[in-house]
Amino acid sequence: MADASPTPEEVALLARHAGLDLPAEYFQQLVSAYGHVRRMIDRLPLERARDDEPAHTFDPRAFMP
Amino acid sequence: MTDLHFLTIAEASRLIAARKLSPVELTDAYLGRIAALDDQLGSFVTLTAERARGEARAADAEIVAKGPRSRMHGIPYCLKDIYETAGVRTTAQSKLLANNVPVRDSACQKKLAAAGGVLLGKNATWEFAHGGPSWDVLFAPARNPWNPEHTPAGSSSGSAAAVAAGFAPATLGSDTGGSIRGPAAACGVAGLKPTYGLVSRRGVIPNCFSHDHAGPLAWTAEDVAILMQIIAGHDPEDPGSLDVPVPDYVAALSGDVRGLVIGVPWQWLEEEIPLSPATRASFDAALAVFLDLGATVRPVLLPPLQQFDDVKRTIAVVELFTIHGKDLRTRPEMFGSSLRYRIIAGGLVRAEEYLQAARHRTVLARAMQAVMATVDVMMLPTAEPAGKLEPLPPESLFTRPSFTTAFNVGGNPALSICCGFAENGLPFSLQIAGRVLDDATVLRAGDAYEKATAWRDRRPSLVAETIS
Repeated sequence: MADASPTPEEVALLARHAGLDLPAEYFQQLVSAYGHVRRMIDRLPLERARDDEPAHTFDPRAFMP
Repeated sequence: MTDLHFLTIAEASRLIAARKLSPVELTDAYLGRIAALDDQLGSFVTLTAERARGEARAADAEIVAKGPRSRMHGIPYCLKDIYETAGVRTTAQSKLLANNVPVRDSACQKKLAAAGGVLLGKNATWEFAHGGPSWDVLFAPARNPWNPEHTPAGSSSGSAAAVAAGFAPATLGSDTGGSIRGPAAACGVAGLKPTYGLVSRRGVIPNCFSHDHAGPLAWTAEDVAILMQIIAGHDPEDPGSLDVPVPDYVAALSGDVRGLVIGVPWQWLEEEIPLSPATRASFDAALAVFLDLGATVRPVLLPPLQQFDDVKRTIAVVELFTIHGKDLRTRPEMFGSSLRYRIIAGGLVRAEEYLQAARHRTVLARAMQAVMATVDVMMLPTAEPAGKLEPLPPESLFTRPSFTTAFNVGGNPALSICCGFAENGLPFSLQIAGRVLDDATVLRAGDAYEKATAWRDRRPSLVAETIS
């Protein structure tokens, strides 16, 4: 979704997929909030080498009893 | 002698060790002051007065018999109301947790109790340490002791307000994008976001796992070092905890910053978020103090602040939704409107987008560490002086730039201290960030600055006038 201003219909579809069945008042907030989130995501650089790892760590020692 | 309620931890612990001050006397001084004045500030949401008196009496007896266990023995403290405290309500300021009484203590609470501290109570926060200030959650937001019409910032609002007001000499907050440093700046106290993983988050209600830091606030950097000595250290039950030695933070406070190399990210301060003239003047004056003390200053160039903000906020909105998704789906009305707006869209972000943000965090963290390797510390203001306490536009979390979040993304230690006062009496702030795991140098620089200036001699006059 390249458009920085998602339509209510697009947001409704995404909300259904997310299991969000919101009252109308909250749905309008969701549309507004998602517009801001969308613009942040659209600003993220996406060109990466295949082996560029996310800033996640998994240290198996952390889960030993 | 300084009024008991304005003693620093360092001063009070010396008096206690010398038997010139009893923990009972000190605890009563704080409890009396809180009872008399906190209705103006709302910095506490739960007081544990009887428990505190009992802990103070026990500390008194033990110190008389055996001497103090630590510098915190017999010293009162409080905790942001997201730190779990066994048997004491822990609400995160949320209606969802109005009756939440944990059965366990957070790791930090355990350490402070083991050190002999005296728990005074729990401090106001923003809902789940993220949404606020809010008037539609469990408690009203805290106010700024320098002027109650102004905000103490968030989310460790009550913690910073309580220390500045002389309600407690020590408290713990949490910092996911600036929530220790922002309130510390607004209230003119010292607050440290430690290196990521240095202080256990176990038993701290999460905001965003990948960026959450637990850390201390106090009146001085020296007191922050005393608290760090107690709460830092590996916790095998916190998956993000680092298994590294804990240095002697207090011993590191030499007062000597000769040769210290200070980097200043001028492009952030002059181009991206230009400082107000008054804040710029206070920052220049702070740098001049360091130059006089023998440090050197050089410019450093980092990626744009907006990239740090975008990465952190994209990751955070997803992690927050993951934490609160069940409640958002089934009872969204239980959230304050500010928090609900800030997290509800997290359910619509695709996994690929979350991971792309996490991949870019890698790029930004590497850039941050590469620059940090060329200097000893980085300095910049923490924030502009605090504005009026009023509802923020809900979208502000997504749109308002921040001088603090970059160090959450990098995981670097970052300290906020007071570096003067604006014409309206609100504090200016200086942020000192350091290399990963070099929290000691950050504290040394902060302590040296505080001891070279007179800002720590000034306390909120509004509260003092009210007392008299």
